[in-house]
Amino acid sequence: MMARKRVVLSILKIAAVCAALVLFFLLLAWGQEHWDAYTVRILNLCGIYIGITLGLNLCNGFTGQFSLGIAGFMAVGAYTTALLTMAPAIKQAVYFIEPLIYPLNSIQWGFLPSLLMAAIVSGIVGFLVGAPAIRFRGDYLAITTLGFAEIIRVLFTNIVPITNGALGLKGIPPHTNLVWSWGFALVCVAVMARLMRSGFGRALKAIRDDEIAAEAMGVNLFSHKCLAFVVSAMMAGVGGGLLGNLITTIDPNMFRFPLTFTVLMMAVLGGLGSITGTVISAALVTVAMEALRALEEPRVIFGLALPGIPGMRMVVFSVALMMVILFFPKGFMGDRELSLDRAKSLATRLRRANTSRQG
Amino acid sequence: MSDKGLPALVCENVTMRFGGLTAVSEFNLVVPEGALFGLIGPNGAGKTTVFNIVSGVLHPSAGSVKLFGDDISGFSPDRIAHRGIARTFQNIRLFRNLTVLDNVLVGLHVRREANLAEALLALPRHRAEEARMASTATQLLRDVGLEDFSSYRASALPYGQQRRLEIARALATGPRVLLLDEPAAGMNPAETEDLMRLITDIRERFDLTILLIEHEMKVVMGICERMTVLDHGETIAEGTPAEIQCNERVIKAYLGGGVVAEN
Repeated sequence: MMARKRVVLSILKIAAVCAALVLFFLLLAWGQEHWDAYTVRILNLCGIYIGITLGLNLCNGFTGQFSLGIAGFMAVGAYTTALLTMAPAIKQAVYFIEPLIYPLNSIQWGFLPSLLMAAIVSGIVGFLVGAPAIRFRGDYLAITTLGFAEIIRVLFTNIVPITNGALGLKGIPPHTNLVWSWGFALVCVAVMARLMRSGFGRALKAIRDDEIAAEAMGVNLFSHKCLAFVVSAMMAGVGGGLLGNLITTIDPNMFRFPLTFTVLMMAVLGGLGSITGTVISAALVTVAMEALRALEEPRVIFGLALPGIPGMRMVVFSVALMMVILFFPKGFMGDRELSLDRAKSLATRLRRANTSRQG
Repeated sequence: MSDKGLPALVCENVTMRFGGLTAVSEFNLVVPEGALFGLIGPNGAGKTTVFNIVSGVLHPSAGSVKLFGDDISGFSPDRIAHRGIARTFQNIRLFRNLTVLDNVLVGLHVRREANLAEALLALPRHRAEEARMASTATQLLRDVGLEDFSSYRASALPYGQQRRLEIARALATGPRVLLLDEPAAGMNPAETEDLMRLITDIRERFDLTILLIEHEMKVVMGICERMTVLDHGETIAEGTPAEIQCNERVIKAYLGGGVVAEN
């Protein structure tokens, strides 16, 4: 009886989740047509940054391998997707200094296979960079991966027959919409949640806490660190691809260090090692980045004309980051998660406190 | 088993040099299967270096280590853990931010069968394995008396219980040989008594061979059947507790050589 009840309950649960997902995506599809372009753009960025930040958090937060190469992986993914989705005629027009090499100049793929290819290519690059780099620890790993991201950027500026050099790519088809970007975010959340609830996720956290003990307990450091590095690179690559097809133009200078810094800030604010914290903070920071643009406009306050100061937003973010580090050294969520169980246990604790006060 | 009768652990002429310093020289050790073997010596004698060599943290400059006849010298620590040697650490190395239960589950990860794809897709084999691992881990925590703390952070446990958790985590890897590095360090007499009971108990229950480093003479003399005494990287004595207690070189190493008196 009990077993059957449990099966029914779990089927109901799955059905409820599926229904919620379908509703969510229907809403997004409807919103894509009916919400204004500015809102849609920001929501798209939210979804994309949630995925990318989760990837960064997998490597930097959960596994404790402080990597600063995320912009490089995003560049790899963005260029891969863009080159595969652009129409041959547009490619011919864009590459006017040197023509694009065969076969890239004559193919055009759909969006999904292009994104999958971006995941594969950035995953391979992630392995090639990660395999030697993860022998380093701490600061050295950070410097190595930062150097890698810069190398990618310089390479992309100079391999003109493939990347069109500093001119970048224009006329990338605007495939990215709310369904794609939030679909990506949800896939990343699901992958992270599954991973962290399995033995593999526990092994990654064990590496973060104590490498020597983890290895003595039979955790293969190389393969587990590679796993974190490659999955992280794949998420960044797909995110980069979605970003390129959202803003329809990319050039190597987009993928400088500040991009890595933005993603890192999202992860640190939310809590290195928290999935829900990352989702909340990536969405908040993306929205705030736009909302705070108001600070950079010229305005009149109490009859005093203030000129607009470009970069004021970043000052605000710096202050916010310092405040968080001072008051929440581990970010908003630390390495905890928001979950229904947690909310429930909080509620029972409150109720118990209440009754004990009354009694 | 085919390797019946072979000694569980053998060190043959193991030498470890760090630059000009020879930490361990020509070390020989034969631990029979099922033994509870002690490794003692004054501070800096090279005991932990021997442990680090056996568990793969250090690779010996010369000599070999054999586990049930298989040469494992030069293997990485995770491969050695796969082969069936588990250890604890002198200065506790728990996964501080993980729960007590998760610490033990990490130890069980080494014997997993489900692969990454099965884990990501939550396929039946993975789910069954996770459930099995959770119940094994809970049982192990019960064995060391920590079942009430399974959802605590490891760093929140008091010292003596952290040592017990380290033992439970080591047992989770399914070892045939267990290396305990000063398990009684920092424990009060009552905790030490409990620990001695725990060690003899798990040896029976898990069919283990145990090699033990200890400074607390009560523990070594109380539970070890045989022991090796190291001093300045060299083996100075081997025998039963009674033999060691009246061995002159051992007494000299521990109490000082009386060089002044001889002159």
